[in-house]
Amino acid sequence: MASEFKFDKEDEKFFGSVGSFGVPKFDNEMHGGVPRGFTMIAFTETGSGSELFAKQFVSPAEEAENTLYISTNEGQAEIVRIFNKYSWPLDINVRTIGEEYNSNVLEKELLASRYRLEGFRLEDIQRLAQTRFVDDVTQDYLTEVTNEVMALGPYFRAVIDSLDFFLQREDPARVVAMVRMLQAHAQLYRGLVLISVSTDGLSPLIKQELASIADMVLSFKVRTIGTDFETSMIVSKFRNAPENLKILVFRVTPEEGITPETVERIA
Amino acid sequence: MQPAGQYSRDRCITGVHGLDEILRGGIPYGSTVLASGTCGSGKTTLGMEFLVRGADAGEACAHFTATEPSVKLLENIRQFKFFDVKMVDSGLINVFDMDVLYSWLGLEKSSFDLDDVHSLIKAIVDIVNTIGVTRLVIDSVTTLCYKIKSEQLIRDFLFTLGKKLATLGCTTILIAEITSATENAHWSSFGVEEAIADGIIVLGDVERMGHLLRFLQVVKMRGTSHSRAKHAIELTPLGVMLTPMLKWGAVSDTHNRWGA
Amino acid sequence: MKMFDLDQGIADQLTEVSLNSAIQVRCGNSNAFMVTASTLIPLLQAFEMGGVYISASRGAAEVIQGFEAIGVDVSHIQFIDLVSSGILGGTTVPYSNVHFVDSPIMLESVLLRTLYILKTTDNERNFIFLDSVNSLAIYNEDRMLAEYLHTFINTFRQQEVLTVILNVPDQTPPLVLSNLDLYCTDLIDRGQVVIH
Ligand SMILES: Nc1ncnc2c1ncn2[C@@H]1O[C@H](COP(=O)(O)OP(=O)(O)O)[C@@H](O)[C@H]1O
Ligand SMILES: [Mg+2]
Repeated sequence: MASEFKFDKEDEKFFGSVGSFGVPKFDNEMHGGVPRGFTMIAFTETGSGSELFAKQFVSPAEEAENTLYISTNEGQAEIVRIFNKYSWPLDINVRTIGEEYNSNVLEKELLASRYRLEGFRLEDIQRLAQTRFVDDVTQDYLTEVTNEVMALGPYFRAVIDSLDFFLQREDPARVVAMVRMLQAHAQLYRGLVLISVSTDGLSPLIKQELASIADMVLSFKVRTIGTDFETSMIVSKFRNAPENLKILVFRVTPEEGITPETVERIA
Repeated sequence: MQPAGQYSRDRCITGVHGLDEILRGGIPYGSTVLASGTCGSGKTTLGMEFLVRGADAGEACAHFTATEPSVKLLENIRQFKFFDVKMVDSGLINVFDMDVLYSWLGLEKSSFDLDDVHSLIKAIVDIVNTIGVTRLVIDSVTTLCYKIKSEQLIRDFLFTLGKKLATLGCTTILIAEITSATENAHWSSFGVEEAIADGIIVLGDVERMGHLLRFLQVVKMRGTSHSRAKHAIELTPLGVMLTPMLKWGAVSDTHNRWGA
Repeated sequence: MKMFDLDQGIADQLTEVSLNSAIQVRCGNSNAFMVTASTLIPLLQAFEMGGVYISASRGAAEVIQGFEAIGVDVSHIQFIDLVSSGILGGTTVPYSNVHFVDSPIMLESVLLRTLYILKTTDNERNFIFLDSVNSLAIYNEDRMLAEYLHTFINTFRQQEVLTVILNVPDQTPPLVLSNLDLYCTDLIDRGQVVIH
């Protein structure tokens, strides 16, 4: 086990033992919030509001520079629009992996199809003759992201939405190992980590492994009731506080974002 | 033997010591020649010399390398006493990494379809045409053909490429890796290359009482008479040196020494 | 200090030959070095030639040391050593003018290496000294060696390089010997050992 980290007394007082979900009613339901040092895994369904929840979770941003939001699906512009809409702080660190990846790959594909259709020009050939190595477009995003989170200091907040991007491209064992490292880092530095994974196509084995690493397991579900959708968050694991296991049905409102409506305790 | 001068107009004088003699003056212009050999038999070295000799004569040359990084190749090429860095700087010798070419063309995949093959031909022909390449080496065509899954497509690729390069007057050496250079072995991995090539030069080792002697043999060369004898070779800083192999010493080499 | 007198007759005979000659030098086992020295010293000193010494009978280092002992500078000679590669550590020698070929059976390699050395040295006139046919005959089949000598001699005659071939006749197979007699243009015969 890693050595004990000495925390500042002032910090301990300021941050307290729990951090807000970003949703006050969730905090109330769960003894004030998420225990510092917790890693949460959220298993999500499409349209269940988990993307909004992920953003809302970083909105408390106790220290903006120590808060990191990593999105693999949305672009910067979309994220800024939503943060503005709810007046959440925009000075946090945001990384849009999907956007970076697409622009790299698309740019390359575009160039390749130009070469294939129009052929090489003299300057292309000269550049080709000078190029000794293949450009590394297939960056190792997994390592980058891991390092970026590991670089955050005490009481950090980090969100990865979602793990799907990595599971589709990397050896799942590597991805699981990365989650394990982040969990250890969060525990040591009393950070808060939220990682979302879509349940579509997720292998039961990986799901089980992730759930066992997590300190807290959430499931975001959506179902239709008549003509309406009902979105809910199920807390199915809460380390050392089984009384917090519950089903929270919520709505999305223009003022508050995720707004819990009913709570049901899981017996 | 007739003086080389008599043929020089329609020949690519390779400049390789002895090879031009074997070929009675050189390789007929625009030919596609398969240089087949076992590992370490000197194929790459021969290809490099072919280009440096060409550059020395003021010809523009291109080398596509898939078997070793261009950086290494450009390092090894310095061993030749007749090599001058100016040949690279002035653009007479152009070395292309096949990996980079594949990447630029979006061909970073294990198998090529018809469309991929045609864009590859187009790219190579484009390069040859744009910079006026008259000597081309592809090292190796074997690694390339592994990506083309059907024999028909390999045939199509080599035939089309050869025809276009011939039209452009570009003499080409396609390097082929084989596992054995015995009398009854194939001169290529796919069997297709040797049928389409205008010429075949085989490189290999002959074992004589436990020692390996490198040899070179011209098996076929359309458009010229040539010696078909095995020649012993030495790879030297002055290039490949050849001498006829002693007839009484030509013990046939062991079969499949390198395995499949 | 010389341990023996040079054979002046050899030096005299050498004045008769031209660059495209091929000389067979016959000797016996006991006078081999004296005959070698009597041949090489005039070539190096009087004719100011450089050349290639192919040593198949002894290691090149031993040959060099033999010449150094009688005060002869052999730095203008490049040695091709055919015997030392077969001995572990045999190729570690303190001379920069020694080249190695793996085995005396790699006759073509010897020819090519000799040609290479001739191309890289800038002596005005060169000789090739082959020491010796009888040693090569130990390792090589008669017909192959006869064929080789034919190619060897013709190659250097064409290039105006004086070929000198040392031979102990009674240790050389008849087929090789008769071919050697046929291809060589001159003969220096010291095969009959005279005991002083
Ligand atoms: N100038 C040289 N002198 C001696 N050996 C050489 C020289 N150049 C290359 N070689 C040797 O030739 C061998 C193979 O050369 P290479 O052309 O790369 O073979 P291939 O491409 O057929 O696998 C290597 O073992 C290398 O050490
Ligand atoms: Mg090679």
